[in-house]
Amino acid sequence: MEMFVMHPNAFTPAKPRPLTDIEFCAWIGQAMPGDRLEYHRGFLGIDATAVISTLPEPERRRLGALASAAHRAFEAALVHLVQVRVGPDRFAYLAIARTKPRHAPIPLSQLIATEEAA
Amino acid sequence: MRIELSPDDIETIIHEADAAARRLRRKLNLPHCDREDLGQDLLVDLLRRLPAHDPARGTIGAFANIILRNQSSRIANRHHRQLRAQGGTVISLDAPISGGTERLGCVLAEADGLAAWQGQDRSAVDDAETHHDLARALGGLPDDMRGLCAALGTCAGPEIVSRTGISRSALYRHIARLRLDLAMRGFGAGWDGSKAA
Repeated sequence: MEMFVMHPNAFTPAKPRPLTDIEFCAWIGQAMPGDRLEYHRGFLGIDATAVISTLPEPERRRLGALASAAHRAFEAALVHLVQVRVGPDRFAYLAIARTKPRHAPIPLSQLIATEEAA
Repeated sequence: MRIELSPDDIETIIHEADAAARRLRRKLNLPHCDREDLGQDLLVDLLRRLPAHDPARGTIGAFANIILRNQSSRIANRHHRQLRAQGGTVISLDAPISGGTERLGCVLAEADGLAAWQGQDRSAVDDAETHHDLARALGGLPDDMRGLCAALGTCAGPEIVSRTGISRSALYRHIARLRLDLAMRGFGAGWDGSKAA
């Protein structure tokens, strides 16, 4: 009888694909209040900063754009941004969807007319 | 059977088929967009029958003419048969349906319309909802992005550059940001959780 020996990492889940800024924004667009998304794990302040970041440059740029989009969404009151400590100098950065703020709707035609009049 | 055609023969065939298609379209009173379809139908039939051409009995042009005339006649008969099946005339969307006062256009579902056939399968309800959602999203945009939206609604990027004096790269940076702002309000990009995992 043959015996198979499984490698200890054989069933380790695949590493999720890094999130881009547009994907993050699309998630916000579809999220229900209370939905949460971990958009980064590490030390965002360091990971996204040039020179001190240990990430490759394209990765660092992607993370910078993602962090900037997250901040923009926070300022628009679309998400709460929280972080959970997962170890020394290591955090899970979470976005939690908020109830969409109510604004007076502005039809595009009206917007264009106002712009042209100005 | 293999047939040898010179470039002149091919030109003659295509020219005759095209002329026959134009004649047939005029005769059947069909829209201009049907001319190419008719031309193809005629040409395919002609190519299928070309092996029967005997150069000793006449030129390829004369042969093509007879074939095209016969096929045109068959297409016209088929068209008239279809018209008769529909009540003998072209049906207007504004005409009342038989036995009622309602117009045909009113009882057709949007999925049966010409727009749906052409791949535009959006209903008026979907359109109204999109307009409403867009108005809500525009209401929530920051002022600068709203201005950019209005500008993009009326003119192209280069025109905005020349009108406002903003640099091209700055404009496209703003557009990229606008794309994000619209995406986080549910427009443009879609999120697929399973793909992202």
